[in-house]
Amino acid sequence: MDLLKMAGIFFIANALTIGGGYAMVPILQQEFVNHYHWLSNKEFIDAIAIGQVTPGPLTVMNAFIGFKVGGLTGALVAMVASYLPCVIIVTLVTKYYLRYKEIWAVRASFAGIKPAVVGLLIAVLIFLGQGSLTNLTTIGIAVISFALLTFTKIDPSLIIIGSGILGALLF
Amino acid sequence: MLTLKKIFLVFLKIGTFSFGGVYSMVAFFERELVYKRKWITRDEFLESFAIGQMTPGPPIINTGISIGYKLHKLWGALAATVGQAFTGTVLAILLAAFYLHMKDNPLLQSVMKAVAAAVVGLLASFIYKMLITLVTDYRSATLAVAAFLALAIFKLNPIGILLAAGALGLVLYRRD
Repeated sequence: MDLLKMAGIFFIANALTIGGGYAMVPILQQEFVNHYHWLSNKEFIDAIAIGQVTPGPLTVMNAFIGFKVGGLTGALVAMVASYLPCVIIVTLVTKYYLRYKEIWAVRASFAGIKPAVVGLLIAVLIFLGQGSLTNLTTIGIAVISFALLTFTKIDPSLIIIGSGILGALLF
Repeated sequence: MLTLKKIFLVFLKIGTFSFGGVYSMVAFFERELVYKRKWITRDEFLESFAIGQMTPGPPIINTGISIGYKLHKLWGALAATVGQAFTGTVLAILLAAFYLHMKDNPLLQSVMKAVAAAVVGLLASFIYKMLITLVTDYRSATLAVAAFLALAIFKLNPIGILLAAGALGLVLYRRD
């Protein structure tokens, strides 16, 4: 039963991932951490970190969450449920691209959703920040990571790995 | 038609070496599929890339699914999806098993404490980049602020908030 519920959440979250891979994060945080308590807040942040260090999109973090909820089966169910909406929608759109392109309602609703995603992510950021930025050192690591990703072309996975090494030495 | 195995293998390669953000991925796709193997033309690639941007889900994966569909219909789309997802999923499962097994290890806790802080910084950077490209006029700024307040203050469900934002988009962006 839990696996079915989990699959439903991943399906909906990915069908609403509009405006970049991070768009699913507020939905996942709400459902898995706040509502069902299948993950702690800390585990959720760690799942994002795993999604970042592994190749492929952030969606890979869903395999981590699925594993936590239901072992190997859970991880596979999570990935199938995450990519199923993509496969259905993208194959249909590829087939009917010339017509899809002209649908104003798709453009207009996406234009509404994208800025809303930014607002939701800021709320999630504040929530996650409260849990993990507990002293000057952690604040410093966050600021340096922000600056590196914003102003240089360094790969996010290297920033995660670098911070992990730093953590082993500092804490 | 290309065999599914060949489609799977080239997307496995793309999915395994997909580091460095969207633009290096686009170059990688073009090199592998357009110039080296000549499976699709540059125009077909650009169309699939556009589809990846205008469909829900991770844009790069969706670009791959669209190319897979062009190469071998639905089975091609599935081969491309599994190929692209394979390495990341296997690694995530291994890391999850390791993480849950070692959870109480003090060294892992120290590592993850710093990593969690870095994730907050990365997320802030992604949001900053989205903010400057997506929030450009009073309509988008209003939607962003309203969504923030709806979640942070009123604790509404994010799924409902996104659906409402989509409906508002139909009204606000109808004439664009």
